[in-house]
Amino acid sequence: MSKPKVAFFDFACCEGCQLQVANIGEPLLDVLDIVQVVEFREVMSEKWNGDFDVAFVEGSITDEHAVERIKKIRERSKILVALGSCATIGGVNGMKNSFDLEEVGKYVYGESYKFFPTLHTKAVHQVVPVDYFINGCPIYQPEFLTVLKCILQGIPYYVPEYPVCVECKLNENVCMYDRGVTCMGPVTKAGCNSWCINNGNICYGCRGLTINPNTEGFKEVLKNYKIPEDFLIRKIEMYNKCKEFDKS
Amino acid sequence: MAKVVIKDSPYNLKKAKILDIKPLTEKEKLFKLVFEDKTWLDFEPGQFIMVSLMGIGEIPVSVCSSPLNRHYFEICVRAVGKVTNSLHKLNVGDIIGVRGPYGNGFPIKIIEGHDLLIIAGGLGLAPLRSLILYAIDNRRDFGEIHILFGCKTPGELLFEEEIEEWSKRLDIHFACTVDRADPDWKGNVGLITSLIPGVDLDPANTYAAVVGPPVMYKFVIKELLAKGLPVDQILLSFERHMKCGMGKCGRCQIQNLYCCKDGPVFTFKEIMDMAEAL
Amino acid sequence: MKTEHYRILEKSKITDFLDKLNTISKIAAPVYKGFNNYAFQTIKSAEEVSLKYIPTVIPPKKYFLPTKDSLLEFTVGNELKVEPTVEYENLILFGVHTCDIAGIRCLNMVLSDKPKDTAYLIRKKHITIIGLECNDYCDEFASCAFVGAHLPTTGYDLMFTELEDYFIVHIHSTKGSDIIEKTGLFKPAQTIHMEELKVLREKKSAIFNNEIPTERRYLPDLFDRSFNASIWKELEQKCLSCGNCTAVCPTCYCFDIKENVDLSLQAGERYRVWFSCQLDPFAKVAGGIDFRRERSARQRHRFYRKFRYHIDRYGMVFCTGCGRCSRTCMAGIKLKEVLTSLIRESEAKIWRKWL
Repeated sequence: MSKPKVAFFDFACCEGCQLQVANIGEPLLDVLDIVQVVEFREVMSEKWNGDFDVAFVEGSITDEHAVERIKKIRERSKILVALGSCATIGGVNGMKNSFDLEEVGKYVYGESYKFFPTLHTKAVHQVVPVDYFINGCPIYQPEFLTVLKCILQGIPYYVPEYPVCVECKLNENVCMYDRGVTCMGPVTKAGCNSWCINNGNICYGCRGLTINPNTEGFKEVLKNYKIPEDFLIRKIEMYNKCKEFDKS
Repeated sequence: MAKVVIKDSPYNLKKAKILDIKPLTEKEKLFKLVFEDKTWLDFEPGQFIMVSLMGIGEIPVSVCSSPLNRHYFEICVRAVGKVTNSLHKLNVGDIIGVRGPYGNGFPIKIIEGHDLLIIAGGLGLAPLRSLILYAIDNRRDFGEIHILFGCKTPGELLFEEEIEEWSKRLDIHFACTVDRADPDWKGNVGLITSLIPGVDLDPANTYAAVVGPPVMYKFVIKELLAKGLPVDQILLSFERHMKCGMGKCGRCQIQNLYCCKDGPVFTFKEIMDMAEAL
Repeated sequence: MKTEHYRILEKSKITDFLDKLNTISKIAAPVYKGFNNYAFQTIKSAEEVSLKYIPTVIPPKKYFLPTKDSLLEFTVGNELKVEPTVEYENLILFGVHTCDIAGIRCLNMVLSDKPKDTAYLIRKKHITIIGLECNDYCDEFASCAFVGAHLPTTGYDLMFTELEDYFIVHIHSTKGSDIIEKTGLFKPAQTIHMEELKVLREKKSAIFNNEIPTERRYLPDLFDRSFNASIWKELEQKCLSCGNCTAVCPTCYCFDIKENVDLSLQAGERYRVWFSCQLDPFAKVAGGIDFRRERSARQRHRFYRKFRYHIDRYGMVFCTGCGRCSRTCMAGIKLKEVLTSLIRESEAKIWRKWL
């Protein structure tokens, strides 16, 4: 059996998630044993004209060119994987959606903004169907490997439906709220093994909101900790602004 | 850290070989299994086993063959999740892992000597098939046998040939209904509850065995009570999320009962006051 | 209290003791993590140990039932091979409070119930428990006196009780007396020491008062009346379903079973991880139906698992009064308040019946 053909593509992003893949260390050799990477701009110059078994897509969709390009990639791929926050939830690119598009264009390109038409930021699944989601900014390498294995086994990967707190507690971290710091862990989807908190950082909510958050209850908690609500909403919007398009 | 092999671990598996795979509907397949070590599965109708696909997962499945069959055992699997979809991709000759049987099945020794009313909704026929086959094999130990079977559409009819056979037997009262008919369907149309009032039964002497989707129970029980069946003669088998099958992992708990250990078959009397049961 | 079962260790020698103990076996003990948080960790030297500490973030159950615990190893490929395994090590737990010992006793009860959890029992055999009695409450969240876990009873190998300038140590097993012998720092206890211990226990009975306005023996009745109590609805609004309360509970043992394969897809392991009845996927079945969808029902389930269901099944209250669930809850759900509310509502109902 020939190895599955795998390609990596990027849209609006920092390419950091692809860097995480390239930088995965020892397991990379085992990965290359089981898949054939046919296109990966960040690490190789070869291109591929045929179809892909698996396409990993980093980045969000922010203009018409991107819409056309992602549709073509989708047509050529048996399995499409959204890689990293920009692709899975829109990520930081979504902050653009809080402003008027013309205003944004002018701010960035000045008077020549009309030569650079732009769209509201969308996550990949808001434009084309996505088969697997690997959340995170950047992605968590062990989760990337887990998802890759699921793809090769032909089974679905379920992103945990509970908050980061669950994993954080098992890692016996001191709660950020005990330290007097606001952390997004209680409302953010797990799956990263509370990577940031293990290393002394707070959770920024890069993996998207949990499926069934108790918003009212969380507001009460904020009140108790004397955290202003709009402060938190801004924190949520940093990564999750594109969620609005999921409703439609 | 030292590491040792613990052969007596309750999570140890027995290897079972797939002897045959028979598609029953678009979504359900019947797997005929045999243990590689030539032992046989000693179970009661209504009990379940844990079926493993290594590297993919483990799920509870009720055994649907006759407990008297010493040559092989059968499971009927609907492709709905990760493990079941992967099971459907397997071929004859493949090996899977099995542990069990677990739980309390239908109390055959108590039912014997009484009339039996089987009420099956959809895939609920699978565990009940085991009981039906047992009752047919020991036909003289039971009084009247009524089988009511309902499913959503004619395309979802399970064990079609056997149903055909049961419906022809003179010593079994068989009735079948579908929620939505297709142009070829000549039988009853309507929910399974619509069949119950028409059954001629002696309530004091009848045990009802009911298995179906969660929504079905409340309505069926209401009809059975209306028929005058005593609460401890209504037997129900519940579906819950089970991981260990041994009353430890906590997943299948219904208030103070573990579905895996105290059930999956309960009398209505045991659970009638439990808000979380129905 | 037989004097010959007690030994004395001068306080100044506790460092020597711990360092010596460390040469015998790996030790895990409470270590300060900052911001009033402690954790059981393996220690390199006695200096790391906090003798005075409030219950650790997660209880020492993590050594008996690791957060991630391998159940089976397997290879697929040409032939399927499955081997159940257990990883264990000799470990001395030092400084375990009586509440956490009570928690381990609860786990023993469940996991030695048939079918026995062999992996747990093997691991348990290799762990030695050295308890440390609390002479005062750790903080306002504790309710150990209500469940009777504020005094040492059983479930340990050695129990240290701090008195003026020495520890009086109760030897409760041969594993314990081996340690006494091997470390060689202990003196026999005398009548005066026993007297001082008695005085301390009397003092404790004045300090530790039942924290809940009812008695343990009324719990079954109370909970039988409380399934539809209004407090559960209140918790629906409050609870964030983060699962912290169950993760930190010394008697919670629910788990999920998962698989991990290596990149060859030919070999891997099946393992269990701690899981929680508070989380969304816990009671969901394949078709998507969730049998405990409301947060109120999940919280109620947690309380019934602690105070009602397991009394029937195992004859024990599955709360050790450690207070961890209340301490960790961001939403401020406090066990003592919930119980008190149940009692008040139940009493009011009974009165209404009489009036």
